[in-house]
Amino acid sequence: MSDEHHHDGSIAQQVRVVEALLEERGLTDADEVDAILDSLGTPANGARVVARAWVDEGFRARLIADGNAAVAELGFSMARGPQPQLLVCVENTAEVHNVVVCTLCSCYPISLLGPSPSWYKSEAYRSRVVRDPRSVLLEFGLDLPARTEIRVWDASAETRYLVLPRRPLASEGPNEAELAELVTRNGLIGTATV
Amino acid sequence: MAERFAPGQRVRVRVLDAAGHTRAPHYVRGHAGTVVAVHGHHRLPDDVVAGAADPRVEAVYAVRFAAASLWGSGEHSVTVNLWDSYLSGAESSHV
Amino acid sequence: MRLNDVGGIEGFGPVAVADDAQPFHADWEAHVYAVNVALLRRGVYALDEFRDAIERMPPKDYLDASYYARWWYAIRRLLREKGVLDDAEVAAGG
Repeated sequence: MSDEHHHDGSIAQQVRVVEALLEERGLTDADEVDAILDSLGTPANGARVVARAWVDEGFRARLIADGNAAVAELGFSMARGPQPQLLVCVENTAEVHNVVVCTLCSCYPISLLGPSPSWYKSEAYRSRVVRDPRSVLLEFGLDLPARTEIRVWDASAETRYLVLPRRPLASEGPNEAELAELVTRNGLIGTATV
Repeated sequence: MAERFAPGQRVRVRVLDAAGHTRAPHYVRGHAGTVVAVHGHHRLPDDVVAGAADPRVEAVYAVRFAAASLWGSGEHSVTVNLWDSYLSGAESSHV
Repeated sequence: MRLNDVGGIEGFGPVAVADDAQPFHADWEAHVYAVNVALLRRGVYALDEFRDAIERMPPKDYLDASYYARWWYAIRRLLREKGVLDDAEVAAGG
């Protein structure tokens, strides 16, 4: 492409032009673009799933056994993206801490959680977390005991991983909404304990 | 569709002459790991991108590798999702 | 082996851990995202082809480009290779 620019400034104009041309050819339209952007997932979805698992042991077991079916109970789908994905929930315990990455690109459970944070997409995270997860987690302020087994999951295929954090000991009562507010996006990826 | 490998089985990642798109990360090629689960059956991306008329649909395995075997150090494990074509059977002895 | 295959490669430095709550930093990024979903839905190209197109970016351009700039490169390239839109049409439409 002789006039190709990879710099953000010129891309905005190209996007407008291309989108208009695609609309002329029936390959998209403004309503569709709006609908796609209005239906993005958010980390709050993952937080709801986690809170339900914390208060309902049956749900927790179903979530581990079949993530897709379990999140569907709460009205969430992993099938709204370009192709359906297998949702696998990996559970943190007293002995095991899980952390998720996509070293090859940036695969992430977008339809459930929305787009990933910038750091998840970065070469620094993708290259280092498989090699030295403890150092990476320290940069997030997470200092795990030496005896904790760390499992790194590289989402290199159609599986999307969701970390099920441990319920904080200080949390009491079955109020799911309050419990959900304790769950952060980083906790769902594994760069925080919750 | 029968799967070649089952959870608990040792497998080795083939050293691929992948000049195009593939989803076998270089850092596991040639290494042995243990199957921890089967994660469905999916079209092989290498075939899709190569323009194959009928891309192979294969089992995808979650394979766990000990960090020490990959990097020479580390106590953690790395579990990677790998298509059947990327794998061969390995001896069940220790790494 | 391609440049995207970074697992274990040294030298990328500390992770910029600041959490950007907004999914897109500019309007054009959101539109790149949405256009990609629309084209994938219609089968103009497959997700595997999209990833492959990003990986075919010249290495220096790949490292210099922002995340959604890489997506845009791939979309432009695939639209051209699939005979949907060529550079002349895009240049003329501006």
